[in-house]
Amino acid sequence: MATGTAIVRVPKEAQKGQVIRVQMVITHPMTPTRRDPQTGQEIPGHYITKLQLFYNDQLVSEMNMGGGVSANPFIALPLKVESAGVIKIVYEDNKGGKWEKTAEITVK
Amino acid sequence: MDRRKFLLLSAVAVAGFTFAPAIKPAFAASKLEEEVKKRLGVELNAIKEIAEIKLTVPTIAESGANVPITVEADIPVDKVERLWVFVDKNPTPWIADVKFTPQNGQVFLSTRIKMGETSNVRAILQLKDGTFVMATKEVKVTAGGCG
Repeated sequence: MATGTAIVRVPKEAQKGQVIRVQMVITHPMTPTRRDPQTGQEIPGHYITKLQLFYNDQLVSEMNMGGGVSANPFIALPLKVESAGVIKIVYEDNKGGKWEKTAEITVK
Repeated sequence: MDRRKFLLLSAVAVAGFTFAPAIKPAFAASKLEEEVKKRLGVELNAIKEIAEIKLTVPTIAESGANVPITVEADIPVDKVERLWVFVDKNPTPWIADVKFTPQNGQVFLSTRIKMGETSNVRAILQLKDGTFVMATKEVKVTAGGCG
């Protein structure tokens, strides 16, 4: 998979008012910025800086991160569902990449 | 070796042994404290540890490149502003921070982090009233994961 693709997993169905876990795996190298031990030169990292979770176009959570999160990050966040809708994650990295991924949920 | 030289050498050796170990931990601690001060705006030792935050980490991690952590809190989500994750001895102690809103329904975060060596993992919650609380747990790392 290419850098920046994601898989978002939510339960297919949920009860009204239930707190679900939105699980996601993003394909990304997540290399931190570090110094070459021999030359002392800085090697620029490549990592995701920001991730936002939307529920029906309303911002729910915002996560900032750096090179300290593992490669191909797995993240699970809670979400209280009230009506059927679209769950969207938007994420960007320090090299200007910006992607989004959606998942749908139905409510009984 | 005459007596004068011997005395001088032994004095240097004793001084070296007493000062060298004292310098290193102080430096390692100040890096985390600096980072906490920079990002949170409070001193680390002013943050109280409470039992309401449940931090789940492995006691021994085989690889430091992939340490699963889960943070849960028994505090209502509308009282919580932000969750911070720190690893004491990483080159960059700050790992991530998450902003919560009442729509989240619960304070929860699960992810995987990198750890350079055996150290403490800290989950710090910033509450709406401006106070900070935290949970700390140690993870033993057999192989580092920071480059």
